[in-house]
Formats: sequence, structure tokens, C-alpha cells
Amino acid sequence: MGRSVWKGPFVDGYLLKKADKVRAGGRNEIIKIWSRRSTIVPQFIGLTFGVYNGHKFLPVLVNENMVGHKFGEFAPTRSFHGHTAVGGGDKTAKKG
Amino acid sequence: MARIAGVNIPTNKRVIIALRYIYGIGPANAVIICNQAGIPAEKRVNELSDDEILRIREIIDRDYQVEGDLRREIAMNIKRLMDMASYRGLRHRKGLPVRGQRTHTNARTRKGKARPIAGKKIATRK
Repeated sequence: MGRSVWKGPFVDGYLLKKADKVRAGGRNEIIKIWSRRSTIVPQFIGLTFGVYNGHKFLPVLVNENMVGHKFGEFAPTRSFHGHTAVGGGDKTAKKG
Repeated sequence: MARIAGVNIPTNKRVIIALRYIYGIGPANAVIICNQAGIPAEKRVNELSDDEILRIREIIDRDYQVEGDLRREIAMNIKRLMDMASYRGLRHRKGLPVRGQRTHTNARTRKGKARPIAGKKIATRK
């Protein structure tokens, strides 16, 4: 079930402040954020966010298609590189 | 034979049923269309007058997105997800379930027929 419209989109307030600051500053720097749960709102279009995926900050350039989605959708938290080819099933074998 | 919404040629079934042969029209929409066109539920397609067919055609053209247009829109929606590299887009690209279902087992609709894993030992029964 979707979120009630009367509540408006959920955005952590400090993101708006951070976005304003970067906008005012002129330079397009990466805004590091941990708030993967926040909705992307139109004010964020054109800005680059570093979305934390539990390991590092992945740069996400926000475009108008992304409005309405959450930041977390654009920073995958799992890295799957495929299974080891032959004689697989060895869970301890790590691939670089 | 009646031709509604392009290529669809439903048979001598009841209109409510026949309309569902059109991609994009299901049970609910079929009933709504029949009500709007003033067609009784028990009427069959081969009993329809030209006027009635025309009315159905008009309603569908005006209010519904069907067949190719609908397929195109769905494909575009998926493409949008893939292009902006969202999680759902990645799942579509990999042909895995998109809505958080488990993939340890099952998920065969998305993954297709099971492929054997090279080198996996066959479980032996005691």
C-alpha cells in the first residue's frame, strides 16, 4: 500500500537544508547522505548525492526521472559477482 | 466477426467475455464497457448490431489504452527503471524477481527453467 497523500513525501529535513546550501554555494559538490529512506523531491534535480550503501558513498546524479523514488534504490547494498565457475559451492572462496 | 481495437476478433461468446480477449481489458473493464454501451450481459458478439459495435469501439478508443499502446507503455516504464539504474531496473535487467521475493528457491517464473550447476554433487540417499 502506498503512502497517504496528505502526509506528503517523506524526506529527512536536513537533506533539504544541505541541498539548499550546495545550490547557494554554486559548486556542484557531492552531498554525502545516509538517508537512503528519503524520497527524491524535485529540489534535488541536478545535484549529485553520495548515497551510503553500508560500505561507501555511491555518487548518484539526480535527474527528473528519479523524482518519487528513494535514494536507496540507486545505491545497491549487495555485490554479487556470479558464482565460481567449476567445482563451485565453495562459499569461502572470494572473488575480487 | 467483430473487429474491435485493431486485430482482435472475439468469437461467438458473450460480449463481456469476448472483450477480455483484448489486451488491457479484464473482467472489471469489460463489465463497465458493456454498461456504458448499454449492452445486456447475455448478448453474444454475433448478435451485436453494427451500431452497438461502433459504440463499443468508440468507448474503448476514448477511455482505454489497449494492445500495442499499452504494451509500449509498460515496456517504456520498465526501460525507465533500467535506464536510471534503480534497484528495480537492475532486477529487470538480470531477469530476477523485482519485488523482493526470495530467490534461494522458487522464482522460476522470472529465472526460467532450472539450469544444472556445474560440478555440484548429486545428493545421495542413505
